[in-house]
Amino acid sequence: MSKQEPTRQPSDPTSKRQQLRLEQEQAAKEKRIRNIITYVAVGLGAVALIGGIIWAVLTYGSQAAKPIAVKVNTEYTVMAGKADAPVIIDIYQDYICPYCGQTERANQADLAAMVASGEVAVRIHPMNFLDDASMGTKYSTRAANALVSVAKAEPDKMMAFNSALFANQPEENTTGLTEAQIAALAAQAGVTQATIDTFASLSYADFVTNSTNAAFTDGIQSTPTVLINGTQFEGNLLTAGPLKAAVQAAAAK
Amino acid sequence: MMGALDRLHSFRQTDAWLYSVILAAAGLSLVASFVLSVDALLLAANPQAALGCNINQVLSCGAVGVSWQANLLGFPNAYLGLITEPVLITVALGGIGGARFSRGFMVGVQGIAVFALGFAYWLYSQSMFVIGALCPWCLVVTLSTTVLFAAVTHLNIRDDNLFLPPRVQQGLETWLRLGLDLLLVVLVLFVLIAMVVVKYGAALFA
Repeated sequence: MSKQEPTRQPSDPTSKRQQLRLEQEQAAKEKRIRNIITYVAVGLGAVALIGGIIWAVLTYGSQAAKPIAVKVNTEYTVMAGKADAPVIIDIYQDYICPYCGQTERANQADLAAMVASGEVAVRIHPMNFLDDASMGTKYSTRAANALVSVAKAEPDKMMAFNSALFANQPEENTTGLTEAQIAALAAQAGVTQATIDTFASLSYADFVTNSTNAAFTDGIQSTPTVLINGTQFEGNLLTAGPLKAAVQAAAAK
Repeated sequence: MMGALDRLHSFRQTDAWLYSVILAAAGLSLVASFVLSVDALLLAANPQAALGCNINQVLSCGAVGVSWQANLLGFPNAYLGLITEPVLITVALGGIGGARFSRGFMVGVQGIAVFALGFAYWLYSQSMFVIGALCPWCLVVTLSTTVLFAAVTHLNIRDDNLFLPPRVQQGLETWLRLGLDLLLVVLVLFVLIAMVVVKYGAALFA
């Protein structure tokens, strides 16, 4: 620390004392700075910790309390049926999510019948958060893009195509259906070749990503999530019956 | 209060503290690596296996486990932890027991720490921005590797082990004397956790 070499002779005691005092001042100054830095570090850590705990408790608490009446962002959705139908069912789904497939396969006959009779409209929220479950092929996005393409061009074919995709659902962590397989399913559902040819451009990939983000923003925690007139359906989705009964109860209100 | 802060500062410079931090951080990483290794085996046997940390879609070990980034060298990354963490634990136990290590040896330890940090942060960024799924045990490794790196580096700067140019060495010693290392570690941990919270937010609690 010292700027000068300490002198051996006791000839200059004042300068030596001065030197010592300078060193002490320097050390005291350093200590003050150090203490401030320590306060900041410890304070920041403590504030972050306490803030984090409060945030976690509030978030957890609010989620435990609220599952009813989800706010529904409908900007990035596609609909089958009439928009003024008495009951609107929102379905949040990802095409590679196994339970989405089970749900759809269990309920598709009921849903198709209720849409056909005009008592229900089905609003699909196509999501792609499981894109990583198809070994890099982004099957969730590809399948959802195809669905949105069909819904925009030929809305009356949407439900049939949706059912076809789930009837032939690939397992998680496989490469999913190929473009050709998706196209074949669309053709089977009655979609025209002109529409099928648009799938490859993935023009609705952003739409699907936006739909996914909107669902997260709305507080959707998992797929499948089904809302009946904006209220989350808590019953068993994996067998036919309960969903239909709940829809009819909602229609009777 | 000042006395307490000074004592804290002095304590943070001791072998006992620094080696204990290394021990704790390496131990935690070893546990995490072990869990991830076992998960990797289960996943290899059955890609559909429901792993222990599927809290929800965001905190999904499955999605991270099947990515190529998780097997960068052709085997699960976690195996690297199984190999290197016990070395660090041994060094830490030796240090706590009063062993002195040569400069060259400590440079080697620093090398492991640098490699571990680089690898952990690369994986962190991949899982944040590319894979899009977070795995809790990987986050444990990221955080504890940060602490481990800080402690090893602190030790090596304190003992002038790193063959640094005198000016750099002096600058770093001043840095330690002012306690800036503590602030830096707190800030880095804060940023790492804050990024996770901002990105996944409420979805962490499903």
